[in-house]
Amino acid sequence: MWTLVFRGLATGSIYSLTAMGIVLVLSTTNVMNFAQGDMGMFLAFIAFALLMRHVSYPIAIVAVVAVGLLLGALLERGLMAKVRKTTSHLGMLIVTLALTMILEGLAGYFFGTTPLLFPPALQGDPLHVFGAILDRQDLLSLAVAGVVVFILFLVLYRTKIGIASRSLAEDEYAAKLLGIPVRSIYIFIWATSFGLAGLAGVMVAPKLSLEPGFMIVIQLKAFIAAVLGGMNSVVGAVVGGLLLGVMENLVAYYVPQIKDSFSLILVVIVLLFLPEGLFGRRAARRA
Amino acid sequence: MLNIEDLHVSYGPIEALHGISIEVETSEIVSVLGSNGAGKTTLLKTISGILNPTRGVITLDGVVIGGMEPSTVVRHGVVHVPEGRHIFPNLTVQDNLILGGYFGTAAQNSENLAFVLQTFPVLRERLRQRAGMLSGGEQQMLALGRGLMGNPRVLLLDEPSLGLAPIVTSEIFAIVRRLAKEHGFGVLLVEQNARKALDISDRGYVLVNGSIELSGASGELRENPEVQKLYLGGRNVDARL
Repeated sequence: MWTLVFRGLATGSIYSLTAMGIVLVLSTTNVMNFAQGDMGMFLAFIAFALLMRHVSYPIAIVAVVAVGLLLGALLERGLMAKVRKTTSHLGMLIVTLALTMILEGLAGYFFGTTPLLFPPALQGDPLHVFGAILDRQDLLSLAVAGVVVFILFLVLYRTKIGIASRSLAEDEYAAKLLGIPVRSIYIFIWATSFGLAGLAGVMVAPKLSLEPGFMIVIQLKAFIAAVLGGMNSVVGAVVGGLLLGVMENLVAYYVPQIKDSFSLILVVIVLLFLPEGLFGRRAARRA
Repeated sequence: MLNIEDLHVSYGPIEALHGISIEVETSEIVSVLGSNGAGKTTLLKTISGILNPTRGVITLDGVVIGGMEPSTVVRHGVVHVPEGRHIFPNLTVQDNLILGGYFGTAAQNSENLAFVLQTFPVLRERLRQRAGMLSGGEQQMLALGRGLMGNPRVLLLDEPSLGLAPIVTSEIFAIVRRLAKEHGFGVLLVEQNARKALDISDRGYVLVNGSIELSGASGELRENPEVQKLYLGGRNVDARL
């Protein structure tokens, strides 16, 4: 039982990382980013290439996060900022869909479509704690997700640029009037989001097999986690991801018949009975 | 200080402002009266850089600010407190205020914050609360305080009385007037509540369909029969149009 919960949390931490990226971008720039997962896939391939060249694991992770930050910033500056002027949010959503195809195509072209084995960061026998079996790689993803969530919250709640990002999510017009440099904030948001994508990709790749489509499932699950969390709340994305991971694992064990359809059933239930999600913001306005 | 000359603004093919000239001096409160759709908000949005003028010049102490980005305009010291307050409801009162001083140094901001909290003591008690939980009057004070955090040289106030009880409006207007006189910033006040606006302002302009029909000292405007009929609802009747 505890083993199941723990594994669920570990998988959930990946959903959380990805969902945070989706929610950050959606709540501030109003773009539903379908490329979050595939950006993680692409960055995982880069990490793989580095590892194969005997770059040490920590350096590969840092490098991949850095590349993610850079690609996010470039995407916003080079593409999204221009697209935003001429098209609707729907148009920008299509741009992210196109991006998934481009990323999957590039990955296939450079690295091939044969599934590759991504080496885990931590090897060795699982740990036994209170009767639960804890896989080391799982522990690492949980720890990494924990640290990242902590840092992200510090940034969002304690730094000017973080507070400004949240203000942008609430009222872009007011943020502009205060002189908040909206364009720089957008760059910051996309960069952060793709940095998160890189981490998620590298953490989950050893658990799955590395191929161009391997993050599609994660993207879908992260989306469901975000819905569960209310779509506009970073806290919600974190909790939603962990919760989904655990529920999924328990359901797969006890009711294996609905293992695959469970998360989709869940999303329907949430949208029907709790459309604001667990942490969705009702506007807290008093007349 | 703030000079607007022959300002034209269009929404697509439709011109909303047809050559407006307005000036605001240091410590001066200038009101712009007009009914819905006269172009009052368009005027403020153009000054703060949200809209671009099609023709005309806006300068602050001789420096052109018309057509600049809002962030540039704010850095020059022209701060727009918008209609409907537009506070960030899910951010704390403190975070709202911090964002008002986005460009300030830490020292400036803590000094300004102390000043704002001294001016609006009610905000001090609520610093850690979400701004959306404040009452309407408190939200307007927060919007004003947030504007003051930007070290304004000119404050653009759009309908600060909207949705407020008359007594709260009077309180806020009195504070605005005192601050402008004590700290030497100009105020461009756009109001539908013409009586209250003329009470606190030094001069006024009457905007009708995108053009200035009348201007003068507030006392003169208050006595003007046309203004009385259209905006003051006849003598001694406090009505809003």
